[in-house]
Amino acid sequence: MAHSKKAIPWIIAGAVGVIGIFLWKPTVLVYGVQRAGLYASIALPMSLTSGILHIVNLAHGELLMVSAYITYTLALLLGLDPLLALIPTMLVMAIVGFILYELTIRKALKGPELNQLILTFGIGIALSQIITLIYTNQTRKLHLDYVSASMTIGETSFGIWDFTFVALSILMTIGIRMFLSRTKLGKAAVAVGQNPKGASIVGIDVQKTYAMVFTISVVLVGIAGSFFLTRQSLFPSVGSPFTMKSFSLIAMAGVGSISGVLYCSLALGIAEAIINGIPHMSGWSDIVFFLIIIITIAVRAKKTRKI
Amino acid sequence: MKRATSYILPVALVALGVLFPLFFGPYPQTVARTIFKYMALALTWDMLFRSGQVSFGIAGFFGLGTYAAALLALKAGFSYPLAILAGALISGIFAYILGFLVLRLRGTYFSITTLALAEIFRVILRNWTSFSGGPEGIVLPQIIFNGDSRCLYWIGLAVLLVVVVVSQYFEKSKLHFSLISIRDNEVSAQTSGVNIFRTLLVVFTVTSFLQGLIGAVDVVSVGYAMPDSAFDSNYTLLPLAMALLGGQHSTWGPIIGSVLLGVASEYLKLKIPYGHLLVYGVIIILVILFMPEGLIGLFRKKKGAKRG
Repeated sequence: MAHSKKAIPWIIAGAVGVIGIFLWKPTVLVYGVQRAGLYASIALPMSLTSGILHIVNLAHGELLMVSAYITYTLALLLGLDPLLALIPTMLVMAIVGFILYELTIRKALKGPELNQLILTFGIGIALSQIITLIYTNQTRKLHLDYVSASMTIGETSFGIWDFTFVALSILMTIGIRMFLSRTKLGKAAVAVGQNPKGASIVGIDVQKTYAMVFTISVVLVGIAGSFFLTRQSLFPSVGSPFTMKSFSLIAMAGVGSISGVLYCSLALGIAEAIINGIPHMSGWSDIVFFLIIIITIAVRAKKTRKI
Repeated sequence: MKRATSYILPVALVALGVLFPLFFGPYPQTVARTIFKYMALALTWDMLFRSGQVSFGIAGFFGLGTYAAALLALKAGFSYPLAILAGALISGIFAYILGFLVLRLRGTYFSITTLALAEIFRVILRNWTSFSGGPEGIVLPQIIFNGDSRCLYWIGLAVLLVVVVVSQYFEKSKLHFSLISIRDNEVSAQTSGVNIFRTLLVVFTVTSFLQGLIGAVDVVSVGYAMPDSAFDSNYTLLPLAMALLGGQHSTWGPIIGSVLLGVASEYLKLKIPYGHLLVYGVIIILVILFMPEGLIGLFRKKKGAKRG
């Protein structure tokens, strides 16, 4: 109960803020929520790997980018809508994830934490360079009619397609939670995440669980990538900022907290949209994430000093 | 006797480096200058890595030195030598102040925060148009030494030598043992009387000063600075790959690694204009998985096996 009492002032402050923004510029709120959906659907898969495998995957944004390119290629080759191409993309991403785990991550999990970090950094570079080799640096975009759907309420009109990201992030949250609490593999994964040694003593195949969880998270980021393609132009370095942003969200939410990622992306999405809403300030919105990450990490580090 | 012979190779290499422009034309000189730049950055990264801290912020302090020197030369009318020194100092001062924040962090959190710092510098300089010229950057009226390629080469070499000397000093002084003990076990380091925070702060400040110095010399040698080129993530990627390939925790490792990768990438750049950096990613992966000690480590192992 003490926990929820502590939250009350925050909820009030949040509500006041939301009403304030709504009175100032209603579209800011809409775009903020949409951004939050995008960020959360990219960060959630990363939260799964960092919560259970305890690694920070610095190739996360590149996996997003790779899946967007795969969807793009499939959509062009087969003439599919990207949302239909999503299904074969998931399959390809599952293979990519499994191979990545078996060839690289598995070995690095035994090594020191910093080696894992450098390794996934290298994987990220390799992925973005492979894409550069195949597709060059040229910007690519699919032109879809439905993404420009808009809606008008009173005097303000705004695009509504981006609400699919909100739906996606909520579905992902529910899906991951169901997976972790209802399925046998998910329960095993929680156990492995808490204590790999203990889990292996009670008969859980730790390696298999790690491989499955990593693959699932790559597939999930693949889904996010297909949706990402519907809205954004593609170029090889398009994914890299999302690695940082996802990590920021996870650091802020606390490692392994799934719903926390959702709330934090809401806060940061709206914060970015506010800065974007101020004239001539849109270039500064990126800084919100980086400042917040530095502040949260510093505060958390002070609270939980390990030494 | 052993001391005297151990000086022969470095002295020969320095002599070779100094005389290089007398035998080779402007193109090899430019290639060599680029390699020196990355070699120096690789060494500064390794100097901090010896304490077990992985910085992803090389590009940040490099770019900070770049911009500080260029802005001081352009707006405050500093002469180039003065601007270079000031650029390096500003980079060092920033690192000293920021060190109080980031050096409390360890492991992943430290690394990611340094990456975030580099991004913050870039965003600020790109958007503060009235101060920094915005995304188009700034152009200096002239290149140092009027662009004479030999002089540019020598100044690049001079910076590299400064970095090598500092790196060697770190390796031979008492600081070396403090750094190793921090890397191995912070608790025992602290109980043995190592002031962890202060040691790391010194190293972080010195390496950032040097990164700023490299950046400042680079900007007066090319004559322009743009946010996306000064804070290019390649300035983080390449030195890291070079140091890892050559062999971490030493002066020789990054030197060997950067010569190999520098020459290779110059060749590949001509062959494959898009995507030649793949080599760097693959090398990082392979080194971490199969050769964590780098080439130097392989060499040491062989030597050890012979002796044993």
